[in-house]
Amino acid sequence: MRIRTLSRVLTVAALVLGLSGALTAALADHEIVAGGQCDRTGATKLVGEQICPGVLDYVNLVNKKGGIEGHRIRYIEVEHGYQVDRGVEAYERIKREGGVAMLDYGTPIVYALTPRHMEDKIPGITPGFGRADATDGRKWPYIFPLAATYWSQMGAGMKYVKDSGARKGSKIAYIFYDNPAGREPLHVFERICKQEGYGCRTFAVPPPGVEMASQVLDITRRMRADWVIAHLFGKSPSISIKEFKKNGFPLDKVVSLVWGAGEHDILAAGWDTAQGYLGMQFAGVGRNFPVIQEIVKMYRDEGREVPATVGSVYYNRGVLVGALMAEAIRLAVAHEGLPVTGEKVRNGYRRIRDFTLGGLLPPLTVTEADHEGGGWVKLYQVRGTEIVAHTDWFHGYRDVVQDEVRKAAGKK
Amino acid sequence: MINRESGVYQTTYEGDMALYTLPLARATALAAVALLVLLPLPLWSAGNEHWMSIVNTIVLSAIGAIGLNILVGYTGQISIGHGGFMAAGAYAAAILSSRYDMPFLVGVAAGGVVAMLVGTFFGIPSLRIKGLYLAIATLAAQLIIEWTINHVTWIGGGAQSTIYVQNPTILGVEFDNEFRRYYLLLPFFLLAYFGALNLVRSRVGRAFIAVRDRDIAAEIIGVDIFKYKLLAFAVSSFYAGVAGALYTYYLRIANYEQFTLIVSIQFLAMIIIGGLGSVIGSVLGAIFIKLLPIVLDLTVVGVSENVFGVPYARVADFLANFQLVVFGGLIILFLAIEPQGLARMWFNVKRYFRLWPFSY
Amino acid sequence: MEFFFDLTVNGLLVGLMYALVAVGFVLIYKATSVINFAQGDLVMFAAYGAAVMLGLGWMPLWAVIPVLATGMVALGFVLERGILRPLIGQPVISVIMVTIGLAFVLQGLAAILWKAGTRELPLPVRVEPYVVGGVFISPINVVAAVTAILSLVAFGLFFTRSRFGIAMRAVADDQQASMTVGINVRRVFALSWAIAGIAAAAGGLIWGNMLGVDTFLALVGLKVFPVVILGGLDSILGAIVGGLIVGLVESIAAGYLDPYVGGGTKDFVPYVLMILVLFVRPHGFFGREIIERV
Repeated sequence: MRIRTLSRVLTVAALVLGLSGALTAALADHEIVAGGQCDRTGATKLVGEQICPGVLDYVNLVNKKGGIEGHRIRYIEVEHGYQVDRGVEAYERIKREGGVAMLDYGTPIVYALTPRHMEDKIPGITPGFGRADATDGRKWPYIFPLAATYWSQMGAGMKYVKDSGARKGSKIAYIFYDNPAGREPLHVFERICKQEGYGCRTFAVPPPGVEMASQVLDITRRMRADWVIAHLFGKSPSISIKEFKKNGFPLDKVVSLVWGAGEHDILAAGWDTAQGYLGMQFAGVGRNFPVIQEIVKMYRDEGREVPATVGSVYYNRGVLVGALMAEAIRLAVAHEGLPVTGEKVRNGYRRIRDFTLGGLLPPLTVTEADHEGGGWVKLYQVRGTEIVAHTDWFHGYRDVVQDEVRKAAGKK
Repeated sequence: MINRESGVYQTTYEGDMALYTLPLARATALAAVALLVLLPLPLWSAGNEHWMSIVNTIVLSAIGAIGLNILVGYTGQISIGHGGFMAAGAYAAAILSSRYDMPFLVGVAAGGVVAMLVGTFFGIPSLRIKGLYLAIATLAAQLIIEWTINHVTWIGGGAQSTIYVQNPTILGVEFDNEFRRYYLLLPFFLLAYFGALNLVRSRVGRAFIAVRDRDIAAEIIGVDIFKYKLLAFAVSSFYAGVAGALYTYYLRIANYEQFTLIVSIQFLAMIIIGGLGSVIGSVLGAIFIKLLPIVLDLTVVGVSENVFGVPYARVADFLANFQLVVFGGLIILFLAIEPQGLARMWFNVKRYFRLWPFSY
Repeated sequence: MEFFFDLTVNGLLVGLMYALVAVGFVLIYKATSVINFAQGDLVMFAAYGAAVMLGLGWMPLWAVIPVLATGMVALGFVLERGILRPLIGQPVISVIMVTIGLAFVLQGLAAILWKAGTRELPLPVRVEPYVVGGVFISPINVVAAVTAILSLVAFGLFFTRSRFGIAMRAVADDQQASMTVGINVRRVFALSWAIAGIAAAAGGLIWGNMLGVDTFLALVGLKVFPVVILGGLDSILGAIVGGLIVGLVESIAAGYLDPYVGGGTKDFVPYVLMILVLFVRPHGFFGREIIERV
């Protein structure tokens, strides 16, 4: 490149940068800053594209209604493409802006940021993104799973299987995505299997998970499983549905953990194919909740089209994230007053009692010893062209899960 | 700057062989180092940890990129497994530090050595194949390393394949914030940088370049190409291992999902955009690739929110994917119009100012 | 034993699905010596095109296919002219890197153009499997197998009978010699990208139907490397045979090895096999033995 071109490019770049920097700095204060990361381009983009608008819309709704005790929330979203170093940068950026509550997005990023949360005393919430051991708030005071962890999900799945007639000798298969998140509930599964005397086997699906014919063949034709617990991500849930269907396995005997039952998974598999498929949720699905109706109304009032994703599985989880953050901040302001700090928000999370948001959330109660809030889940089933509730909120094998948490807390 | 090259007549071999032969160049280099050392001081307050975290990420990436450039840029061997070699170093350091309470420096050294062994092993195919085939063989190395860490419990440390380490402590000083960590990383960066500069102008470095330019000719003039190819893999993955180990101490966690294929590709992008076969280019490339998403993010959000009044929520998806397009587009653009990368531009700027203001 | 039989049949069928993507890869390599890391993304792009056109409902499938093929041919031309041609004569690393850059651009563009979320790509193929001798075979796999074998035959004829095909082989053999006998090398390069576009369209239709269409469809590209190395980078027949081998090995490994090593061998074994093959026969089973060794 010629020097002249180079200098022109640099000048323009510098101008644009300076402009944007000056403008960002000119924003008003007197607001409560919260932030969260998002993945809209990386390995979990299909999820991020729906969750993150949910968070943003909820915060917008709160601000439209006058904010929290009269204070606006400024929510900063930073996209990181599921890359750890950009996740760290996102954390530091939100911290610099004065963030007092954060959403951590993505299992490896949650792990990498845990030490920072503890040092900086800023609570991070990680609904559905792992760190089952962080349930113990005495050991991890600034990490809040706030939704059923993978261990609790496994406990609940196994309870459902048992309640539906599994006995000693029943054969249960666990098919999982072969990454740390997929392996997290493995030993809980094996422990419950031993306890109940089931005949269990596990099946790994290696990334990128676009093909799993032989694993499903093994489950359906050699092992002849009675039940399947599936814990898959990305493209693989839809493929598993197709493969189970192809091999004539009844889909109402397949219980998917929380990342395997979004609308896009069902769509990719085909709604007809997926009839009966059971998906676990930690937030309600659909638009029949007061808060979702308010968001729909907000869109209509602004004269904008309501996006199709409003009310979908992952969008509602985003609303859950926003709502829990806002609730913790509200409790912090109500009990400890301004200025809001990370420590106060942490106490705010721990003050959450029976917070259901009109049925969108389980009856969540967070304590110091239980940052998970009870490990509640709900099963939904694909029927017709809808995902409809199949059970009420429930949890299972709490003794096993809590014992695992205790053991993890004892370890270094 | 004026006339700095005139009137330099070396009278000793030492003077002639110095890294920087001109007094002014030496002074400039020293000034640059001093600048790097002093960099955090004006920023030193908790609010600026964000900027320091970016700087630290760049420093870490630069070490890895210099290593990759020795292999790809100087020796002409393609590797898509750099992230995997970093992971090997990261886990070696993490295991030693968390299970055997080894001090920081031992961990970093071990990380380098373990990665070196792994890298040399996966470099063996390079004796047989090159070019495209080597690219795919190293891609296999990346996937095999990931698989091994994920499945061998002794290495991965359990289902989550995650190992925690403590903040490193040297002589009673705990490196517990972004500013202190910078001083932890900087010496390694300087060692890596000047080490590479010296390496590539030594006998070994010239052998690397000979292998890259024409392997048969190199063999004829007596360069043992087997030895030097493996040596290039060893040096390069040693750098990767040190970078991986430092990364572990920086984040206080080793997790192989930090070193996936996309990281390997990012490192390749760094040295391509920075300039193949240039040490300073590796650093410039690391700066560029690490800053690009952050700058784009701040700029596009700032402009759309403040100039056009469009809230972030409505541009978020566009912005994120736009970054992908720009990232890919820049790689293509650089290869098409400036194959020698930022290093070449840097050189052009220097050349321009060498005669300034009397350029013709 | 029945389980073994199941695994074998399914593995082979899946292998042909891989071969379908691998063919496009080989076509580009054969004439232009470019390893196209963006082949998976071309498949994804084609699948998006098909899904969008079918989703609009303006035309039936038989009309969509030629439009899609034309579009992919055009895209192939544009990519070759705009991106690959300036790089003729550049080192291998640059060419690899430019296709990686292209992959990022296609990923981002697809998401910007067609918005997020998964789309359906309905084909008139039934979902319920055929049961042949106790083995479940899904119809889409049969379609893929037939397409793969047909493309093998078609490309085989093309390369031996048509002028362009012979010209392409000549260019692959020796660019300068072909130029001296009056072959327009540039046109051949452009043409091979265009044909690879058609191959991507075929792969996109079938994989898109299997997996649903979103940008993750590009991941099938990753599966292709062992296939093409095993078969030989420049052999269409090799792509098919390589696909069959990889499909079979994956399937058998997952069935019999996974229980002992804690899973995930499917991803791992093809690459190990590939490295072994690189040591013994770097040019693959059907590739031409001109690969540079040192």
